Amino acid sequence: MNILIGSILIWAGAFWALARVKRDHESELRAVWQISLDTFLFMLPRLILGMLSAGFLALLLPEEFVQRFLGESSGLAGLFIASVFGALTPGGPFVAFAIGASAIKAGATLGAITAYVTAWCIYSILRIISYEVPMLGAEFTRIRLIYSLPVPILLGLLAQLVM
Amino acid sequence: MTPPGQPSKRKIIDGGLITLLIILLLSGGAVLWKFGPEVFWHTLLTDLGFVAVLLPKVIGGVLLAVALGYVLPRERIMALAGPDSGVTGLAVAMLAGAIFPGGPAVTFSLTAGLMASGADLAAGVAMVSGWVLLSANRTLIWELSFLPAHFVLLRVLLTLPIPILLGLAVRHVAKRRVAAE
Repeated sequence: MNILIGSILIWAGAFWALARVKRDHESELRAVWQISLDTFLFMLPRLILGMLSAGFLALLLPEEFVQRFLGESSGLAGLFIASVFGALTPGGPFVAFAIGASAIKAGATLGAITAYVTAWCIYSILRIISYEVPMLGAEFTRIRLIYSLPVPILLGLLAQLVM
Repeated sequence: MTPPGQPSKRKIIDGGLITLLIILLLSGGAVLWKFGPEVFWHTLLTDLGFVAVLLPKVIGGVLLAVALGYVLPRERIMALAGPDSGVTGLAVAMLAGAIFPGGPAVTFSLTAGLMASGADLAAGVAMVSGWVLLSANRTLIWELSFLPAHFVLLRVLLTLPIPILLGLAVRHVAKRRVAAE
């Protein structure tokens, strides 16, 4: 059900955006199709491998462990652990989100997953070293990272309050 | 119009895919060994079915994310985030970071351009934070594919004020520092 509503909303958005492109930049329409196709072909194998891994990992993750450290009773410590794991998770979004999906299946709270995903977004180390520091400078990066320090736990707490 | 910075050609097979393949082989092998072939095949087929159900959403997400980059007038929007644009400027910088497609190279050079045109460090932080936390490309394509839609929606809503707050904090400290000197 959730998937159906989500799909309808996204397709509505896609039709709107495509209609706008057709109206205002018709010559670009071919590029939109081509880039979309390339992107889709890029992600299809990753989606399949990621989903299958998420299913297997969910079976393997020791449920007591996940529930103890990331479940209902884990509280602030759980959010902290999730944030550290998120900051340390290497690789592209498909890796982080597949791990998040299996942790949810194994009993992690949505608050912990919020902290995990947020920390992964902020601290992706490869992106920082290979792009942010060279292009925006060490000072900029340092300031952004220091100010962002409380964000994963803060959002995790908020998510736990709301969900 | 400027080409929205989609990565032009990506390798289908790269380190990320190989990492994922290794994770799959190890986890699948462990499940086979620990739970037996019945559970292994059941899990495999259930998840393949899940991918099939997801595919329409994934395709819609890709089209939306790509087309969005062509719909928005990039220069006009960036001009709104210039110097002395206040909280609105921070919000615009955040949205620019979140919505303009493209990888780190594109987003960071846009940010450098924004700051070169006179916007302050706070606007730069809001823009990069908008991108890392809320990138429409990543959220629509990857996050929605793997995680439940209500989770993604709530995470996005809760996160929306964060880049602006970070910008305000950076600006506040910078002002105090100037005042102290």
